[in-house]
Amino acid sequence: MGPDDLLLLVMLVALTLYALLGGADFGAGVWEFTTALQSTDKQRQHIYKAIGPVWEANHVWLIFVLVILMNGFPVAFAALSRALWLPLLLALCGIVFRGAGYAFRSYSRGTGRELAMWESVFAIASTATPLFLGASVGAVASGQLAIAADGQYEASHLTGWMSSFAVFTGFYAVGMCAYLAAVYLAREAAVAKEDDLTQLWRQRSLSTGLWMGLLSIGGLAMVSIEAPTLAAGFAHRGWPLVVVSLACGIGSLIEVWRNNFLRAVIASSGAVAAVLWGWAVSQYPLIVPPTITSGVSKAPDNILWTMLVVITVGAVFLLPSLSYLFVLFKSNRQRPY
Amino acid sequence: MVAVTMELSLAVAADNLRPARLQMAFTLGFHIILACLGVGLPLLMLAAEWRYLKTGDLLWKTLARRWSKAFAVMFAIGAVTGTVLSFELGLLWPEFMGRWGAVIGLPFTMEGFAFFVEAIFAGIYLYGWDRLPKRVHWLTGWPVAISGFFSAFFVVTANSWMNAPAGFRLVEDKIIDVDPFAAMFNVATGAQVTHMIVAAYLVTGFSVASFYAVQLLKRVSAYDRRAFTLSLLLALPLVPVQMIVGDWSAKVVAKSQPVKLAAMEGIFDTTTRAPLHIGGIPNEKTKTTDFAIAIPGALSWMAYGDIDAEVTGLNDFPAEDIPPVAVVHIAFQIMVSIGGFMMLVALWCLVVFIKKRRWPESKAFLGTVVLLGPLSVIALEAGWVVTEVGRQPWIVQGYMRVSEAVTQAPGVWNVFYLTLAIYSVIGVATVSILRQLAKVPVVETSDGA
Repeated sequence: MGPDDLLLLVMLVALTLYALLGGADFGAGVWEFTTALQSTDKQRQHIYKAIGPVWEANHVWLIFVLVILMNGFPVAFAALSRALWLPLLLALCGIVFRGAGYAFRSYSRGTGRELAMWESVFAIASTATPLFLGASVGAVASGQLAIAADGQYEASHLTGWMSSFAVFTGFYAVGMCAYLAAVYLAREAAVAKEDDLTQLWRQRSLSTGLWMGLLSIGGLAMVSIEAPTLAAGFAHRGWPLVVVSLACGIGSLIEVWRNNFLRAVIASSGAVAAVLWGWAVSQYPLIVPPTITSGVSKAPDNILWTMLVVITVGAVFLLPSLSYLFVLFKSNRQRPY
Repeated sequence: MVAVTMELSLAVAADNLRPARLQMAFTLGFHIILACLGVGLPLLMLAAEWRYLKTGDLLWKTLARRWSKAFAVMFAIGAVTGTVLSFELGLLWPEFMGRWGAVIGLPFTMEGFAFFVEAIFAGIYLYGWDRLPKRVHWLTGWPVAISGFFSAFFVVTANSWMNAPAGFRLVEDKIIDVDPFAAMFNVATGAQVTHMIVAAYLVTGFSVASFYAVQLLKRVSAYDRRAFTLSLLLALPLVPVQMIVGDWSAKVVAKSQPVKLAAMEGIFDTTTRAPLHIGGIPNEKTKTTDFAIAIPGALSWMAYGDIDAEVTGLNDFPAEDIPPVAVVHIAFQIMVSIGGFMMLVALWCLVVFIKKRRWPESKAFLGTVVLLGPLSVIALEAGWVVTEVGRQPWIVQGYMRVSEAVTQAPGVWNVFYLTLAIYSVIGVATVSILRQLAKVPVVETSDGA
């Protein structure tokens, strides 16, 4: 295992954490969007309190993936920037409006109308961002990006991420976010001993969980038709992770049903993580199929080793800080609100 | 066919150069203000909270809490506009990142960690007011201030590398022997990083002081006076420091980017005992800087410590390597004169303090400080223009031109117009939220946030 593989592993871990933590924050906004007309003030507050202290930190996982790609695999970074120029810009719009909407909503002292406006900005942007990021990942996974071996892009900027598979993964990502958010929020409601909220989010977890299960099976069918190279990878070595994902998904539903919310959180996270790992393992060592492997795009080895040292040293600061944040705001301790 | 595509894409690249540069300049110019406040405000809120811990006076706590809210808004907007920049490196300049990413990327990786720690402790500090013991809460603000400092440090090392590339060798157009630390700590790093970080504290101190000077001109209150004093205490001592660092920075530019120095000063002919131009408008047709006050030998002395030293003029550089002289020279003059003005205000304070053992409190002084808020931001932007426009036409000084780095994607103008619209909305909303926060009345005996 060379330094490039280690870095790919670090990137995959960071991407997974972004999908789980950042994804759940987006999912909270997706719920806000889809239930805007029916939700009460108390239900909204539950959402805002849950993501308030953590969403900025959760967002940084994306930056982290980006800088490692930029530093460690510059050719792949440039190729992705060229090929996914439009969906990444649209995702960026979403990121800007999500963050701004949330901050303005939290600190505005204005009228109800002004709050409602920033709430809807936050909600719509939270839905749009995973849609475009998901479509970008789908475009990569499909192997349909027309990228030459030197990293130049040879198609129009609408192809690739507008394929049926990429559009599907866009919506699949939004669904995943909503599903994670529902399970996490059910747990938080249970910890706060808010029975009505617990019931609400329990039901939402069950219904989205079922839908996501069906979509996942549909997704597998779609992979085999639309992304034959990825399908071959799945058949070759990705399949155990598909099994893990399905098992975790079913497990999360059972645990939600039985009101074991902490276990449900773990199982649902496992289900989502296994989808990402399944994809990554299946397309390894390609970073951007069909041409850009980790080998052709990586920085010189001494750079990669330096990065690994920096990351290790950084982790010494990062991990305790992160644990402190989550213990403080997400543990079972009774919260004073 | 291939030739036609090549020609087409070169034409596209040429068309993209202007909008891509405008897009980068605008988004960076917007972010840099938020970033400076994000670096400086934590220090102010920590100072106010420290006074609260020492004295138990709730007015200090109110101040700290309110500053922490202003910081929260700035940090959130700074985080998303910063995200835009990191994506733009690839989206606008893919050839630059693809070729140089390995050399220049390490500070970005490090900055990732600094930003991470900052975001984590910002969450803890902002939401921890009622959850943590007082002292612990104060301590959790420190990582925010420290990692803000390091974020600025790392990011500016990357920029200084673009001005003074180091840490690699080119053999037959291939980059070899990459040394990421030599790249990070190039000859421009020390001066540029220090200049930027001091600027961040100056901008924070003067912007905040300017706001409270307006309040004090309306009605004197203990709350506003404390806020005013604290923020001036951050800025004023740094004014002379920035003068010295600025001088250091000019010496480094003289060595590493002589063409930039010539543009800054509007020097067209190579001369010994080169004059320092104060004011003036460089005329690129007649190759003269008109209407300037020239101090003979001063530039030679400033740049090389010797009044007889030779300064290479713009005429001795190839025409295709020369930046837009007028823009660079005027921006530099603006920055320097605002710096000089700040120095006068600092001296004014010092004189009054030595005579009367207190701050000047006259309306004239308050009015001057009101001006210093916007002026400090103008100086910041002008300085940034000097650095960036002064490096044109290069993206990596001497190694890659901006025109070689730019994307070939379609629709960059449209993206720029859209960005203008979006950032206008965000900018207006940010100011409006800050005004709303400021309008909540202060109750002198409560810790009301």
